[in-house]
Amino acid sequence: MKILVIEDEQALYESILSYFTGDGNICEHAADFEAGVEKIELYSYDCILLDLGLPGGEGLEILSRLKKLNKKEGVLIISARHSLDDRLSGLDLGADDYLVKPFHLSELKARVSAIVRRKNFDGDSVIKFNEMTIDVGAMKVNIDGTPVFLTKKEFDLLVYFLSNKNKVVTKNAMAEHLWGDEIDLSDDFDFIYTHVKNLKKKLSEAGARDYVRSVYGIGYKFAEA
Amino acid sequence: MKLSTHYNRVNILTSVIVLIVTGIIYYLFIHLILTNKLDKDLVVEENEIRQYTDTYQKLPLPASYIDQRVSYGNVTGNAHGIREFSYTNYYNPREKEIEPGRSLITTVRLGDKNILVTITKSRVESEDLVRIILLITIIVTLVLLIVLTLINRFMLNRLWRPFFAILNRMKGFEVSKMDTISGEPTRIDEFNELNRSVNAMAEKVKQDYKELKSFTDNASHEMMTPLAVINSKLDSLLQTEPFSEQQGALLEDIYQATGRLSRLHQSLLLLSRIENNLISDARKIDVKELVEEKRRQFHELFERDGLHIEMHLSDQKIIMSRYLADILLNNLFSNAVRHNISGGTIRIELSEHKLILSNTGKTLNIQNRMFDRFSKSTESEGMGLGLAISKQICNLYGFNIEYSHAGNMHFFSIYLG
Repeated sequence: MKILVIEDEQALYESILSYFTGDGNICEHAADFEAGVEKIELYSYDCILLDLGLPGGEGLEILSRLKKLNKKEGVLIISARHSLDDRLSGLDLGADDYLVKPFHLSELKARVSAIVRRKNFDGDSVIKFNEMTIDVGAMKVNIDGTPVFLTKKEFDLLVYFLSNKNKVVTKNAMAEHLWGDEIDLSDDFDFIYTHVKNLKKKLSEAGARDYVRSVYGIGYKFAEA
Repeated sequence: MKLSTHYNRVNILTSVIVLIVTGIIYYLFIHLILTNKLDKDLVVEENEIRQYTDTYQKLPLPASYIDQRVSYGNVTGNAHGIREFSYTNYYNPREKEIEPGRSLITTVRLGDKNILVTITKSRVESEDLVRIILLITIIVTLVLLIVLTLINRFMLNRLWRPFFAILNRMKGFEVSKMDTISGEPTRIDEFNELNRSVNAMAEKVKQDYKELKSFTDNASHEMMTPLAVINSKLDSLLQTEPFSEQQGALLEDIYQATGRLSRLHQSLLLLSRIENNLISDARKIDVKELVEEKRRQFHELFERDGLHIEMHLSDQKIIMSRYLADILLNNLFSNAVRHNISGGTIRIELSEHKLILSNTGKTLNIQNRMFDRFSKSTESEGMGLGLAISKQICNLYGFNIEYSHAGNMHFFSIYLG
């Protein structure tokens, strides 16, 4: 997928670019308002990551220009502003999602993947990975034609892993993804272990290979061995 | 009590008292004057009888004239020189009824005899006069009362209309909506001044609100950006595996600390935003539905600790921000899970105007400071802000949140509205 990151904080966009690049993704970057406007007018993307406070103008202005140009890009607002007004006006203006800083790169990737899936397949998208077929809209998983029955959390976890293939995702990020960041999970993410274990068990019973491995107790990595 | 009611009460009470006192004084004076006049008439009559007796050496006939009767009697005992006025009854032969009267009892000397003379006059006319005067006074009083009440009701209501208009606009004023308070034009200086002051105040409030909001936004932005960088760099660093076991442990510690710092900062910002009433998406919330949603959300956490959940929910809707309602319940649920014992119980009761969350747990040593910021039990892993935020949210909406405990049960009760 082709992604544009409009963000002025160098350290942050470098991390985002390096996390997103690879796996067939193309990432471009604009560091201020003018550059952002220029890029959206000239090119097309699958998804735009938009920071709200930019040098030279407001991020929301870029969003409304994008809508005026009748472009169909998915837009994910990334902002330090937790203000509900901003969130609502962003979503009103046609943004697809809103992520508050600081965020986990894995969460960002999962959200961007979800937006791109929605945009490209109208929600009926199917993710294929080797022997796995995952119908995101219908919430169904097949391993070589054998259906696997997952709970909602296990399914979300699998999609999350697939969005962050070959990346180490922390337990912390996984917990926040599954239960929302407003729940104070008391720093004890060991119960994530149970969910991962159940998921692995169900997948391997249906004949899938084991792609998930634990990384130093920090998190997990979904990758071809 | 309303100002107009208060004013009316004082006004009408004073008027009534003054009128009653006036009436009484009237009555007494007129009564006195009329009695004096009657007495004079009686004296005139007495004089006539004396002159007649002196001239003719006999008593005039004990006759009844119009409204007057003279009778004679013998002096008994030593009633010599008696002369007194008194209130008596007068028998009116024409009307054949007893009327109130005034008598003069005196003695007349006839030869060497003292004759007791009683002259009685009817008081009916003067009584009538007094009655008419009393009636007029009462009518005037009533008319005055009615007029005063009407004036107060209509005149005062009209006079106060601009005041209530301003008041209503003030009630409807929401700082986050950035609207202005425009008063009703009026000729009354006081209300015009009130209008001006209210507008000036609203302007100032709006100005302060804007400044506060932009400060909060800026502070949040400035602190969140480095945090976001640390987070993203950590995520990037993690991708450069393999690490040694030791590096892995270090990374995990840094992750934990960064996570805590982010949450701490978010909580503090949230607190200040609630305090400053910067969250304004109030709408109708179905509490029952929300509690059930939270139960699903926390399902895995309950399972992890083997907690038993009991819920008794009745329908209850309140007006508040959905965002804050979420946070409030999240905090209470988190709290009930975190301070529970393995295999314990959480009981949720939602009745009309009351939500009670109770959980089993250890005895705590911070009961009085339960809702204070950063107060937490020694073994707690939280930041000690959850309940402070809950309290602040409750304050914002006028709910009352209370903590109590009985044995190893801890109760958090919220009185909704």
